[in-house]
Amino acid sequence: MNGFVQDLTAVAFKEVKHLRRDPISLGLTIIFPILLIGLFINVFGALNAPSHNIAVAVADLDGSQASRILIDKLFTSSKIRVTELLQTEEQALELVGSGKVAGVVVIPKGFGEALLTRGQAFVVVQTDNSRSSLAALIKGAVDTAEQELLQSPVVGLGDKTGSVEVVLRPISGRPSTPDSILPGFLGMIALLGAFDDIVNAISRERERGTFPRLLLSPVSIFSVYTGKIFATVLLTVLRTSLMLVILVLTGLAIRGSIVLVYLTTSLIAVFTLSVGLVISSRVRSSSTLTILEIAMTLPLFMLAGTVASPESLASGGRIIARMLPWTYGNEALRRVIYLGLGFNAIAVDLLVLFLSTLVLLPVATMLSKRTM
Amino acid sequence: MTIAMPRSNPLSEVLAVAGNEFRQFRRNRTAIIISLVVLPLFFTVALGAGRGGAGTRFSSTSQVPIAFVDDDLSTASGQLWQTLINSGDFHHLVQGYREENAIAALGTGRLYAAIIVPQGFQGKLANNETATVILYVDDGQPRIADEIASTLRKHLRDFNLNPELKSAQRRGIAEIQTIEKGAFFSGFLTGLPIVLGVVQIFAAFYEIAGGMSKEREEGTYARLLLSSIGQGTVMLGKTLYDLILSTVRTLVVLGLAVFAFGARPHTDLGTLLAISLLLALVTAGFGFFVSSLGVGTRAIVIVEFFLVLVLIAFSGFAVDIELMVGASKTLSSLLPWTYGFDALRRTTLLGQPLLSLSDDLLVIAVAVVAFYVAAYFNFGLSRERLLT
Repeated sequence: MNGFVQDLTAVAFKEVKHLRRDPISLGLTIIFPILLIGLFINVFGALNAPSHNIAVAVADLDGSQASRILIDKLFTSSKIRVTELLQTEEQALELVGSGKVAGVVVIPKGFGEALLTRGQAFVVVQTDNSRSSLAALIKGAVDTAEQELLQSPVVGLGDKTGSVEVVLRPISGRPSTPDSILPGFLGMIALLGAFDDIVNAISRERERGTFPRLLLSPVSIFSVYTGKIFATVLLTVLRTSLMLVILVLTGLAIRGSIVLVYLTTSLIAVFTLSVGLVISSRVRSSSTLTILEIAMTLPLFMLAGTVASPESLASGGRIIARMLPWTYGNEALRRVIYLGLGFNAIAVDLLVLFLSTLVLLPVATMLSKRTM
Repeated sequence: MTIAMPRSNPLSEVLAVAGNEFRQFRRNRTAIIISLVVLPLFFTVALGAGRGGAGTRFSSTSQVPIAFVDDDLSTASGQLWQTLINSGDFHHLVQGYREENAIAALGTGRLYAAIIVPQGFQGKLANNETATVILYVDDGQPRIADEIASTLRKHLRDFNLNPELKSAQRRGIAEIQTIEKGAFFSGFLTGLPIVLGVVQIFAAFYEIAGGMSKEREEGTYARLLLSSIGQGTVMLGKTLYDLILSTVRTLVVLGLAVFAFGARPHTDLGTLLAISLLLALVTAGFGFFVSSLGVGTRAIVIVEFFLVLVLIAFSGFAVDIELMVGASKTLSSLLPWTYGFDALRRTTLLGQPLLSLSDDLLVIAVAVVAFYVAAYFNFGLSRERLLT
């Protein structure tokens, strides 16, 4: 038993030493998390910015006092920028079609009179719906301007309507931010890291021809594979620590047990390693293997619940998501990090990851051994 | 005495280089599967699985289990339930939960939100006051809280009370209706230009840059330089090879999109193919440029990953360019792929003709020329170093 542990430790430290001597892999271990978080801040920072500068044209076909107030409100909106005032609807539609503006607001003839006499009027908002986030923001800005017009004392329409208000109460008690995506990024870092480890531990060893030498040494094949798995767990712990530091620096408070976070990322990494072993038994070139793994990882950002909840996917996507053990890993990380839940809340997720690994790992090891 | 080698015409040399690439490609079964099957399949199926088919209305909240707790038990709250159920955005509303049980079930995966209609809901509406609906959400799920809240707000804004209550409510009240115009696009069709572009970029870069670096590492590139074939011919031959593969990939993606997911792009096949190939061409040019810097295959793979991530963030497919500010906006406007994605989007979704996209096409063409010229000179320098 002692010998096995010694062999395993020796192989694991050999793997870690390899990484230390490989500045590219070492650099990637540090750069990947920073890059991912940087991209996250860029994307969601842009979407959730308090003000935008979306170009919109307005066609005022009415020319009434009410329409002028509405245009003033649109001019002062923090979401849109009125770039042109037009005389006809055709001119406005042409601008949207040419892509010069993302939307147009058409105030029809008789708008002011209809509002004052019948109390009901309408405006037309035409948007370039191929850019869905812009269309929603323009619609929101127009709605706000309309409400401001209705409450404007100048026009005298300011009765309060009997509306329904939604009071949002998130169970985490955190303010509404897109931070709930961050724990999923930790899961993806564990996944990407483990894929990189398999390339280093198997494919490159195969290309260099050092694996047969390892087999000729007085170390059992079981110790070799266990050592490589152990090395991945060690490196995952390092990557997780780095990522947790980055998450804290970005302002995310980690509420749950850190031990559960390490346990979850380690299970994700070992499962990923098993998948990588299976793939590497068919794909021999290390660079091709890396490309394939990147190609697999990108759809997983959507399907494994990293950037969107699996529940919000279409029916086919939900079925695929529930078949992917990574989905359970990401959910467990979110429950621990974001909601601060304990072991009981993630036991099923961890069990799915553990059982998937238990089934796949022996098969993967056998397939991999055959190719050496 | 010097013996002049007979020179064949440049076109046949280009074809010879392309033919050689195809011979190597044919011998590598893994490369065929990854390039022509795995990449198009993964991305297109992921889009279809995530957003549903093109013919279906996709709502990100429709299948999310949400508790509806009615503490008012009034006509208005019943009508609210009907409005939400009929909206198509809340198919999985569950009744029968008490408020505390519903809240306790959040975070467990059984429920993701709970809509609480408090006592006095109808009374407030009838008195022209603002009634309140409380929405508890499992905000540990990415984006779901905001999506449920904004969808609920949208339906409540248009919430029509029954006629008796409505007449009381509307007395002396003015309202402005917003009529939304503009084509409706399914989630799948909106994502199709992205998939088309990403598949081309992903494959073309690796095929060109990875192929060149591999040749350099195996020593076959040096042999190629010693032959009578010029550097430009090598680049053109490899480009031709990659454009043919890119054509097949575009057809695979479009075939899957049209026949498996029911997509109906608003443009013809020729236009889509032309823009896809332009994207492949600019990526191939970038691939030549990166490989001309003398980097190894491993570095190429890393550059590829970074390229894809940068494109996700800055080329307008994760967030519209109009929403970017400062350095992000500048970077986005400098990336030729941004214009390629814009052209794909405008043709696939809006049906604009290819020639109306002259700005986008011009930027891509300039980038293609710039990358190819820079790569050609860099390769020339490395050739001199190799031969001297």
